Amino acid sequence: MKTYDILGYSFSAIKLRKLRAALTTLGVIIGIAAIVALLSITQGLQTSITSSLNRGLSATTLIVLPGSNALGGLGTGGNGEGGRGGGTGSGLLGGSSASSSGFTLYVNYTSQIDALSPDIKTSMAVMQRTGYVNTGKIIEPVSIYGVDFNQYAQLYPTTFVAASGSVPTNPDDNQIVVGARVTDPRENGTTLFNAGNNVGVIWTNATTLNIVNETYTAQVTGILQKVGGFAASGPSDTGVYMPLSTAESFFGTNQCDYIIVQLTNSNNATITNVSKAITDYFSGQVTVISSTAVLSLLSTIFTTVQFFLGGIAAISLIVAGVGIMNIMIVSLIERTREIGILKALGMKSRTVLSIFLGESVIIGLIGAFVGIAFGWIIANLTTRILASGLFGGSGFHVTPLLTPEVFLGALGFGIGVSVIFALYPAWRASKLKPVDALRYE
Amino acid sequence: MLGKVPVEALRGVNMKVEAGDFVSILGPSGSGKSTMLNLIGALDKPTSGKLLIDGVDISKLNDNRLTDLRRRIGFVFQFFNLIPRLTALGNVELALSIADVGRAERKQTAMSLLETVGLKDRVNHKPAELSGGQQQRVAIARALANNPKFLLLDEPTGNIDSKTASEIVGLLKKVNIENHVTTIMVTHDQHLARIANRTLQMFDGLLASEVVNQQ
Repeated sequence: MKTYDILGYSFSAIKLRKLRAALTTLGVIIGIAAIVALLSITQGLQTSITSSLNRGLSATTLIVLPGSNALGGLGTGGNGEGGRGGGTGSGLLGGSSASSSGFTLYVNYTSQIDALSPDIKTSMAVMQRTGYVNTGKIIEPVSIYGVDFNQYAQLYPTTFVAASGSVPTNPDDNQIVVGARVTDPRENGTTLFNAGNNVGVIWTNATTLNIVNETYTAQVTGILQKVGGFAASGPSDTGVYMPLSTAESFFGTNQCDYIIVQLTNSNNATITNVSKAITDYFSGQVTVISSTAVLSLLSTIFTTVQFFLGGIAAISLIVAGVGIMNIMIVSLIERTREIGILKALGMKSRTVLSIFLGESVIIGLIGAFVGIAFGWIIANLTTRILASGLFGGSGFHVTPLLTPEVFLGALGFGIGVSVIFALYPAWRASKLKPVDALRYE
Repeated sequence: MLGKVPVEALRGVNMKVEAGDFVSILGPSGSGKSTMLNLIGALDKPTSGKLLIDGVDISKLNDNRLTDLRRRIGFVFQFFNLIPRLTALGNVELALSIADVGRAERKQTAMSLLETVGLKDRVNHKPAELSGGQQQRVAIARALANNPKFLLLDEPTGNIDSKTASEIVGLLKKVNIENHVTTIMVTHDQHLARIANRTLQMFDGLLASEVVNQQ
């Protein structure tokens, strides 16, 4: 019997029991949709994080953090220095200060680092605190950064750019630049203040015996362009940027939280050598992070997460497979006589097998395609709901990503599971003796 | 086997059928006539003993060879055994598609066969929309689809009223003569059995007597 005849016959059998076939297919659809939704969200998340990392941490940039296990903290869930900032707000690499390791970085270490290698173009210290901005209307939480505006603008020429007002090259002590969401926290175009206005900057100083709110009034000279995504490093939408000297006196210290080192090139050898030179200079008391190291670590984490989530979703597909097997056995019993007729007409056992497998292939194929479509819709709805800020004011921007690997994998897995679970009933159908099958009532 | 008691359905039956002959086998129920027909039609294998057709022992053939054999045999059953979801045309075409006949040829052949059995106007009806006699005509058309050497009829009129039954038997006789197809019919109706050239009586798994019918 020709293949299209076999498929046609299988299809006519499916058509006869539409509801049953639809419910069986629904099982496959749910499984595939779960896989596709979870994986496309995860992959979208990975792409989003990777691209903001690339934006914040260019290949020619190294970050020097105090403490010897900073990167390790990133991997194990955030008890190291670098891991403290693993969330969205204060930046992936933003530790507050090097209190636990006993080693501190100072603002003036930059000149010593600059001298370490000819491959180092420049280095800059960054101070960072969690604080508040008082707009007169509301007081909202922000991340306060003390940076050299000139160097920072050179380091992030595409993101440390004002959308309104300007980023001064030689700012006065009371001038600040803020991220887009500081003035527009709801992201609906209603701004709390504009460039040129004054706002209060608040930092809760808990380092002294009596906890005090340090405040000063600053003039907003510029509002940055929207960066979007995660502020891994580099300008953040919720950041407030003040000159480094102002930060030193405001925070009452000349310790810095990390030092950004800019290299002249992005060769692997340069990255390795400079990293080693800096680590050695500080006797192993610092951790030097390069974008390559962070990206490969992230990739490892995401692969694990994807296997985990994909595995959970795959279980639902296996359950759907058992459903297929169940329904095929029922169908086999109902159609025993039909199988007898087909065999009496001279149908080969192999063809009987193909007809039953054909039915499951059709179910798997429809289930996989519809499931992929549904999964994609679910992924988009989920990310849109997350972005709308329904579950938390700040919102969470991820664009789901359906890679060809996930698409083909889901398709293959859907059809594969359907076929594997249909093998036994199909084999039993093919082994029926015609005379017994014809006698069946 | 009947439960756990072995039953000898056939005991040393030896029969010879000439090409183009029409033989009827007459016997009460349980005499082994259906078993014999199933064995001849390669639908069943003997649990023990030998079955020689054309000198070939059927019991030793594998599944594929048996299938090949079945394709040269047309079967007509008491309960029609049509596929309910297919139309009359679809049922006849199915037999052709199993034998790998292409689409266009399939339709043409099936149409002309249905015309032969007198169902030209009912080709697009499903079995449930046809009378018993009409369903059996479809079954006959289907049995003839692949130009079989043998036509095996298992109580072909057992489920049809007597007036229609004689029409069906008349049709079978016509097919036997015009298509020159060797026909073996199992029945317990003496009157119908007489349409065949020869009638074999069967009792308790043995052929008892042979009668040559006067036409």
